[in-house]
Amino acid sequence: MRALVIDDSRVMRNILRRTLADLGFEIAEAGHGREALDLMEAGLRPDVCLIDWNMPVMDGYQFVVEVRRHPGWRNVTLMMVTTESGHNQIVKALAAGAHEYVIKPFTPDAIAEKLQLLGLVPQEVPA
Amino acid sequence: MTAVLDPAPLDVLTLLEEVWESFVGADEPLLPRSLTPGHPETRHHAPEAGAWWSASITITGTWSGTVTIELPATAAEAVTRRMLAVDLAGPDDVADAIGELVNMVGGNIKAALPDPTSLSLPVVAAGRVAHPSDTVEVCRVEAVWADRPVRVLVHAHHSTGRDHA
Repeated sequence: MRALVIDDSRVMRNILRRTLADLGFEIAEAGHGREALDLMEAGLRPDVCLIDWNMPVMDGYQFVVEVRRHPGWRNVTLMMVTTESGHNQIVKALAAGAHEYVIKPFTPDAIAEKLQLLGLVPQEVPA
Repeated sequence: MTAVLDPAPLDVLTLLEEVWESFVGADEPLLPRSLTPGHPETRHHAPEAGAWWSASITITGTWSGTVTIELPATAAEAVTRRMLAVDLAGPDDVADAIGELVNMVGGNIKAALPDPTSLSLPVVAAGRVAHPSDTVEVCRVEAVWADRPVRVLVHAHHSTGRDHA
């Protein structure tokens, strides 16, 4: 499985990278939505994108909209990982095509649980 | 216009503790710290020894203001090393880490406010940020981590229809 982590914070990308690596993912990273689209247009095919909302250049919501417009990317699972925890934001992101929503701060277990629910990691992960 | 409550210190402390436990670690907890009235550190421009880092984020909408985290450089560097799981962290790493901390605290404060509100990107400074003259401090949380102070300040814009929690 391949994950694309999209967050303008290098620290947050680092934290998510460690979490995902422990779950067996190959990981690519982007600092904003436009950079992530560029990677995907260049051929990167992630199984799941973990997406921050507030980023410069292109925010996470716009990234979700752009991915869902692309017929070749319909199988990419989109998971918001953000401090935007208002009900309206959650509804807006899910309506645009995000599959899951994780609110920061999170624990590695919370990320693993969401990925298990999405069928992207087995229920039992080796320690 | 219905007044919007300012963030309450206990709520902000709870958020700060959650962020700290998730990303800095639970083995060395962040603890609340009480300062008696008149303590030099309770004054806005109190002189403080050593270098500091600050990160601030702006909330705009039904309640408008800023959320700021301040901590000594030694604490900021130690927090960054823990968040990155590295032995050495440079200034860019510290700026990124402290910015993400205030992003999480500010984002969760915003979540408790009525819509519509929006959150800015964080602004980070080596030193202490100056707060605009049209804002007033409405909440202050003092904590200590690894024997070093950690502070969260919330400033509200005068024009916001607000009340104290």
